[in-house]
Amino acid sequence: MNASRQSSRLAAWLPRLVVAPSLLIVLVTVYLFIAWTGVISVTSSKFVPVYDFVGLEQFARLWATPRWHIAVENLFIFSTLFLAISIGLGLLMAILLDQHVRAEGFLRAVYLYPMALSFIVTGTAWKWVLNPGLGIQKVVNDLGWATFRFDWIADPQMAIYTVVIAGVWQSSGFAMAIFLAGLRGIDNSVIKAAQIEGASLPLIYRQIIIPMLRPAMLSVVVLLSYIAIKSFDLVLALTNGGPGAATELPSTFMFSATFRRNQMGVGAASAVMMLMTVAAIIVPYLYSELRERNNG
Amino acid sequence: MSKIFAGLVAAVMLMPVGARAQGAIEVMHHWVAESEIEALSVIRKGVEAKGFQWKDSAVGGMSGANVQQALRARLTAGDPPGAMQFLGWEGVQWAEQNVVRDLNDQAKAGGWRNALPPQLLPFLTAQETFIAAPINMHRQNWVWANKKIFDDAGIPIPKSWPELIQAGRKLKERGVIPLAMGDESWQVEVIFDALLADLNGPEFYRKTAIDLDPKALGSREMVKVFDMLREVRGLVDANFVGRDWAVATGMVINGQAAMQVMGDWAKGEFLAKGLKPNKDFYCFPTPAPVTSFQYLIDSFGMFKVKDPAVQKAQIALAETVMDPAIQKRFNLIKGSIPARTDVPVDEFDDCAKLAFKDRAEAIAKGGMIGAMTHGFASRPEFAAVFGDVAGQFFVGTMSSDEAVKMLVQGIENAR
Repeated sequence: MNASRQSSRLAAWLPRLVVAPSLLIVLVTVYLFIAWTGVISVTSSKFVPVYDFVGLEQFARLWATPRWHIAVENLFIFSTLFLAISIGLGLLMAILLDQHVRAEGFLRAVYLYPMALSFIVTGTAWKWVLNPGLGIQKVVNDLGWATFRFDWIADPQMAIYTVVIAGVWQSSGFAMAIFLAGLRGIDNSVIKAAQIEGASLPLIYRQIIIPMLRPAMLSVVVLLSYIAIKSFDLVLALTNGGPGAATELPSTFMFSATFRRNQMGVGAASAVMMLMTVAAIIVPYLYSELRERNNG
Repeated sequence: MSKIFAGLVAAVMLMPVGARAQGAIEVMHHWVAESEIEALSVIRKGVEAKGFQWKDSAVGGMSGANVQQALRARLTAGDPPGAMQFLGWEGVQWAEQNVVRDLNDQAKAGGWRNALPPQLLPFLTAQETFIAAPINMHRQNWVWANKKIFDDAGIPIPKSWPELIQAGRKLKERGVIPLAMGDESWQVEVIFDALLADLNGPEFYRKTAIDLDPKALGSREMVKVFDMLREVRGLVDANFVGRDWAVATGMVINGQAAMQVMGDWAKGEFLAKGLKPNKDFYCFPTPAPVTSFQYLIDSFGMFKVKDPAVQKAQIALAETVMDPAIQKRFNLIKGSIPARTDVPVDEFDDCAKLAFKDRAEAIAKGGMIGAMTHGFASRPEFAAVFGDVAGQFFVGTMSSDEAVKMLVQGIENAR
């Protein structure tokens, strides 16, 4: 009697006990440090943390730094183009692969393979490919087209687009894979019915199939935005923030402010700005997801 | 968990070392290149000869930024290493946090104050207290040149920056890249530091790079510096993106390029190829009416620890570092010159001999200034602004006036 009550109490507590350590680790290593960063952002910390209160001074300093403006602008350029092109290319490749081509498995692997590389490798490889004296430009010049120029990586105005190229190369195959899975999930009878009604193939895709891919689209957007925001290592390997500060992103700015420039307070302020930007995207998404679940 | 792991690793690493040692000292540093390790082993053997054990703790990467992070973690955990290699203001900044050991007794006994150039003291002392022992001194404002290219073109060693630009244009016509460099901000800043002192005198360098005087920062002289930097840009090829400094040195060595402005660590690349100064390559200071000596030093500071055996080992390390014989042997390998001014010059090469001569002159005439790029002028938050502006100016199309305005505002914002 007693034993069974004990075991039932254990059964009630066991899930909580098992979850507790990981919950504790997440609370400490993620949320505690987010809170700590928030605290540091309102102090005068420079070389080491100082616990005083200076209000929003570090935020004012942050927004008066031209480098930060470059970083924010770059993040918008990069993430918008990166998302749009990766999704566009991914969707196109998925639709083409879905036409029951021969060797589909092989092609799928080819497109998906860049995803298996780390951003450091991608960045380093593209650094050489895009270098005007070693890569594409040199090859085309050597082939006889002597006036061909492709030196975006050396041009402060264009360098951020080279980061987009490398990012898209890496991630569009991933978008393709998710879209392809989505396409396979669509019932063939829907398409057959539309064909009987006389709809052309492009119309079927535009009006029926792509709208039906909405859940896949949502996953791709969320996952790729996440990749865009954390693309620190890609920039570090490809351009190291240069030429000048032309490819600085908020993440590289935060690292150099905190660890190289003795501006821990400014670094923390930039981290808080990044968190708020991510929250502005993720919170509405979570909200709508949770509401849908409650309704359903 | 990670502490246990680190402990295990340390234990495994230490096992083969002799057990007779009186005490062990852990030395944290970022020297991982071959010549650096070899040079460091001179100090290591010196410490071991005094009967102490050396625990090597190298953290390479990011020009020392990684080792700084590692050190912060160790200090926060209350487990500092016995000694640490310091660059720039690092030692003084840690002394301000009251974690660095006082070396005054050793300094007094060893007569450090008289043996070292007085200009180094701001980086080695905190309120009259010695907190670090310097081993070497590099000079940042050198020009390294391919002798054959210079001789073939009949170009003498330039005596001023306009002359250098003129020589460069002539070389460009002959199909040689006049100046080898990369687009990294610090490489641009090396040239910027040189121009700052060379065009307007060391006093102007002091007012701007060290005192951050707003009037001097926004002056016509500063515009002149950027104008000349724009001229220098004209001497660099289009493929300079992402080029490492050592690759640029290689271009001078193999005759693709004529010159490189770089600190004397570049000399090691020439010597490694068996080339001889003044026979195969030229080394000369960046040209100026008043030649400056832009120094950077590596020093060792000791952290406050409780273990008396480690404390004794710290004294042994400080004495070893300041030993003139050790400084000589260390610097013969490292390519720099001793921080002490009383070490005989005979065994050093011609470039180092020139450095000894220029240093003595600079100390006497006020041309001895810290290299801002490597953290020996203003504190990092300000030095970084100079690097930003110079770097962005160099690769872009900004005008000199815009650059000066950006510099003044940037410094103001970092205060």
